[in-house]
Order: sequence, then C-alpha cells, then structure tokens
Amino acid sequence: MAHLLVVEDEKAISDLITMNLKLIGHSFRKAFNGKDALEFLNNERFDLILLDIMLPELDGFQIMQQKRDLPAPVILITAKDSLTDRIKGFELGADDYIIKPFETLELLARINVVLRRNDNGNASFVLGDVEVRIEERQVFRHNELVEMTTREFELLEVLIQNRNIALSREKLLEKAWGYDYQGESRTVDVHILKLRKKLGWEDKIKTVYKMGYRLEVLP
Amino acid sequence: MKFWHKVLLIVLIIFIATLDISIFTIMQKNWALNLSWEIERASSEQALIANNIYENLNSVRSRGSMLNEDVYYDVVRSYDNYYSKQGIALEMWKDNRRVFPRSGEMDSAMPAFTSRSIERNGNHIIQIAKYLPSPDDDLLLLYERNINSLFAVQQDLNHFFVIINLAMGLCLMVLLYCAIRHLTKPLLMLSETTKQIADGNYVKRVALKSKDEFGELADNFNRMAEAVERHVTELLHMAEEKQRLADNLAHELRTPLTGMKGFADYLMTANCNEEERLIAAGYIQSETLRLNQLANKLLEISDLKHESCPLKPVSIEHLFDAVTNIEEPQLRLANQTLITNRSVSAVMGDFDLLVSFLVNCIDNAIHASGENDTIVLSAYEENHTAVLEVRDEGCGMSMEQTKNAFEAFYRSDKSRSREHGGAGLGLSLCKHIAESLDAKLNLYSKMNEGTKIQIILQLSNNFTVTP
Repeated sequence: MAHLLVVEDEKAISDLITMNLKLIGHSFRKAFNGKDALEFLNNERFDLILLDIMLPELDGFQIMQQKRDLPAPVILITAKDSLTDRIKGFELGADDYIIKPFETLELLARINVVLRRNDNGNASFVLGDVEVRIEERQVFRHNELVEMTTREFELLEVLIQNRNIALSREKLLEKAWGYDYQGESRTVDVHILKLRKKLGWEDKIKTVYKMGYRLEVLP
Repeated sequence: MKFWHKVLLIVLIIFIATLDISIFTIMQKNWALNLSWEIERASSEQALIANNIYENLNSVRSRGSMLNEDVYYDVVRSYDNYYSKQGIALEMWKDNRRVFPRSGEMDSAMPAFTSRSIERNGNHIIQIAKYLPSPDDDLLLLYERNINSLFAVQQDLNHFFVIINLAMGLCLMVLLYCAIRHLTKPLLMLSETTKQIADGNYVKRVALKSKDEFGELADNFNRMAEAVERHVTELLHMAEEKQRLADNLAHELRTPLTGMKGFADYLMTANCNEEERLIAAGYIQSETLRLNQLANKLLEISDLKHESCPLKPVSIEHLFDAVTNIEEPQLRLANQTLITNRSVSAVMGDFDLLVSFLVNCIDNAIHASGENDTIVLSAYEENHTAVLEVRDEGCGMSMEQTKNAFEAFYRSDKSRSREHGGAGLGLSLCKHIAESLDAKLNLYSKMNEGTKIQIILQLSNNFTVTP
C-alpha cells in the first residue's frame, strides 16, 4: 500500500483524512506546517503528497516552489476556489486539486487515480486466496482465473478502492454503472450475490444495515 | 431651443423693435414739421405775391385804367414768368373762371381749399389758394410749388434708415452672441460636470471662481457633489465590508462543516474500532461547539450594531471581580497570572458590555502569552478620563497585523488562534462595544514584546453604584 504525506494545519481535517487513509490501508505521515512538511520530504520517500495551500510559516505554493523536483505526485487541498490559484497549482506541478468542503469518497477516488497513474502497472490486491489484478482486469482464485463480466469487475474495483467503507446501493450504481444508468438498486444486490459466490467472499462483503455493502479487510 | 438662443432672440427682437419704433416716430415728426414749414413758407410767399399783384392792380386803377381780364392776365403772367424759375406756378381765378393761364386744360371748378399738398403726374406739389385783399377780393390767386426735393430727401432718409437698421441688427447680433456665450459659459460647465457625475465620476467638481449667482450655484453644486461622493464611498465601503464579512463567514463555516460532514460519514460507513469512533464523535462535538461560538459572537456583534447603549456608572471593583471569575479557569489551564490595578472606583459605561470587552481582551492576551507569563488588567485616570487597560508580554503583532486586527475574521496567526477555537471575531466585537459606548479604543503592539489595549471612558463621580 502507498505511503502518503498529509500536510494540513487544521487538526480536524488532518485527522479526518488520515483516519480514512487508514481504513484503506495506506500509511501516512502528518505535517501541520510547511517547515515540518519540508523536513519530512527531505528524509522520507512518499508515494503521494496531500498539500493544503494555506499553511502557517510556509504555504503550499512555497513548498512546491522550494522542492521543484518533488519526488511524489501532489494533490492540493484548499478552501480557496479561485481559478488563478488552481492554475498556479497546476503550473507548479500539482497532479490534482480538491476544494474544501470535500467528500471523503471523492478524495479517496482522486488519491486512487493519481496513485494508479504513477504506478508501474503492478497494482494487485490480495485478500485471502483471491488476487485481483486491477491493471489487467483479471481475478484469480487459488491461482485460477475467475470468469467475470465487465459490470462485476467494476463493482469489485469500487469495493476494493473503498474498502472498509460502507457504500450505499445508489453510490455503487453511480460508481460502477455510471451516472446515467437507470437501473434499480436490486441490480446491485444481484451482482453482489454473484461476487460473493464467485470469490467465496460471503463473510468479506458485509451487508451494512440501512446503508449498503462494505468490503471488510483487516488492517 | 437652448437658453442662450432664447435670450439672444428675445433681446434682439426687443432691441430692434424699440429702436425702429423710436426712429420711425422721430422721422414721422420730422416729416410733419418739414411739410408744415414748407406750407408756411408757401403761404407767406403766396401772400407776398398776392400783395404785389394787388399793389399793381391798385396802381393801374389809380391811373384810371379799367381793370379787365387782360390786365389781370398780364400782371399775373409777369409774376408767373418770374417765379417759374423757382418751380412756382400761379393761377388766377375770377368768378369761377380761370383768368390765368388761359391755355391748357381747363379745370372745371375753382379751387375750394386754402392750402393742400397733392401729387400730380408723379410730382409732389403744395397748393395755396387765397383771395386778394378788397377791393380785388373777387380774385383768387392759386400758388403751386413743387416740393419733390423734400420728398427726395425723405426717401433718402428712409433708405439710410433701412441700411442702418440692418447693419445695427447684424452688429448687435454678433455682440449679443459673444456676450451671452460668455455669460452662459458657467452653465455649460455645470451641465458638463453634472453629466460626468451622473455617469459615475463622483470625484468631478466644477472649477468656477466667480462671485455671481453662477459662482454661488457652482459652490453649492460642489458641496452637493462632495456629499454625494462621501455617501457613495461610504456605501461602497459598507458593501465591501459586508461582502468581505460574507466571504469570510462562508470560509469560516466551511472548515468546521467539512469536518463535521466527514466525520459523520466516517461514523456511518467506516469499519472502525471503538477508539476511532470516539475520536470522530469528539470532532463532531468540538466543531459544533466552534460553530455555536461563532454564531454567538456574530449575534452579539449584530445586536450591538443596532443600538447605542445608555451610559450608567459601573463599579470597577465589581467589574474586575466578574472578569477575574470568568477568566480564572483559563488562566489556571495556561498557567498564567492576572494582576489587577485600580486607581479609579467607577466609570460611565455598561456593566455587561465592559465585562464582554475585558473578557475578549484577556482571552486574546492569554492566547498570545506563554506559560508563566503575567497579564495586567488596570483602571486609572488620565487627562480627566478613565482608562481600562489589558496588557500582556506575549508574542505581539506586526504593524500590518495591528492595522487589520479589528476586522472581523482577521487572525494575526491563523493556526494558533484556531487551536483556541476563536474565529477572529474577538477584537471586532471589542470595536463594536467601544462604538456603542462612544468610547475610544487604542491598540499598541510590538512583535515579540507584547500588546496593550485600552478603552477610554468617562469618569463617574457618582459613587452609589450598582453592578
């Protein structure tokens, strides 16, 4: 799993981000000001940096300017939604930009996209006897290929990306089928059933009362 | 039609009409005088001729000769011959018959007038007809005189009058144009300036330095423009402040809301343990408290904005006791000491507002100071006024920060004051309190040396104070 640097001066937001990262299984380092962030960057290797722009002492832009050859991709987090700021961020080499207040799921999705873009294609997810190769869109159980429809694979991918987080049927429909899909939430139940059976994940994909489904992975 | 057009036209018409009427009247009078003078002259000449004829006839009679028509004819002809060179013609009538001249057309009737002026064949003529004295009073002598020259002179005068009239009219028009344009220039300037102001250029003024009504108007106009400009800038500033307040408020609301929503989502969806659940719930609680604090402060400020507070005597002793009680837990937590000094016993103000003021100032002082630091709260007299002062030896602020300190949502150090739950409204509230107490507010601060804030109130001489 990835190692992230979270630079955010607001303690509540910092904790919110890291607690969610922990659910997915990412490791992280927290910095509350620009100076600490620079120090961590000099001493450690990170896969991704979440960087707030408004920071005490040294702001996010200054950090990016000082570390022109940032060793890791950067997602900027800010309350300032101005075009000039966004352009400045991208010019300085940011990979993405997210504005407060943000949805946790959106942040996680963006983190995933940036991580995958910078990955060398060996991303695979292993749980028990099941191995999911995301890049190749293949699933192995007991090292044997499991036949899957596109829809099933996409549903599986969404569950893996948001592991340990419950997703409502509507959310699953939206993420795996797309916004314009006019299906019923029953469709989700049917596909979840199939996934459970094919992968033997009856106890891994939990039904959360009144919420939806959650792929549970022990940290 | 423009104003100057109207003035020009009216003045021109009145002037020319008056001029013409007076000149016309004078000419008319002159003509009448000339004519009557001419008639008088003709009349006396006729009398002279008639007298001479009478004398001649008398001498003929005295010689014993008979007077007949031939005699009359001869006598009159001799005079007629003589006078014809002067443009004078004579006729002699007797008993309704013309005796002289005999030739030519015969007038049917004897002239029945004594004097007249007629026009005949394009010639202007004066005729005088009078009888000779007796005994020749049956003889009527008609005297005719050509007065064409008089008419020619009059004609000349008329032409001259018309030409003068036209020339003067033109001259007057040019002069009037220049004069009126010059006089109405201030109006043009005023109009130009008004247009510019109407287009939104509120700093424009009329540059007119004269002492007439226009100057007065320009002065008043400039005064009005100034008032308008002042009001507009005031409104603009107010709108800007409101906008800034709204922007800041939105930003200020966003951060706790992000946290609350995020942690609520986390509680609902995450596969987490008891400890993590408690942390999330704790954040939701603390962020809610923060929002609540923000709402309370905003309400306080908004309440203050509407009313000016009546001033009552406030006992400093009671005031300081109340403030110390409120601040004690915080001071103990921060391990700081509050020292109070009071050399006045009462001030004019409002107890609750002053408590709120001092608590806000001391809160700021606590946050700015480090452990084991001292904060001094004092009340003393200076220049016949009472000064309440909160002084700390904390981190202080730069000039720039001091300047902005009273603005709502302004934080000198963002991360530090957020830790204490502030929203940057404390000093803004203090400013509004001072305003509603009509008190002056002073803020002195130096980086790394400390901050001193003062509110200047009236001294109260009334010692029967109630808290």
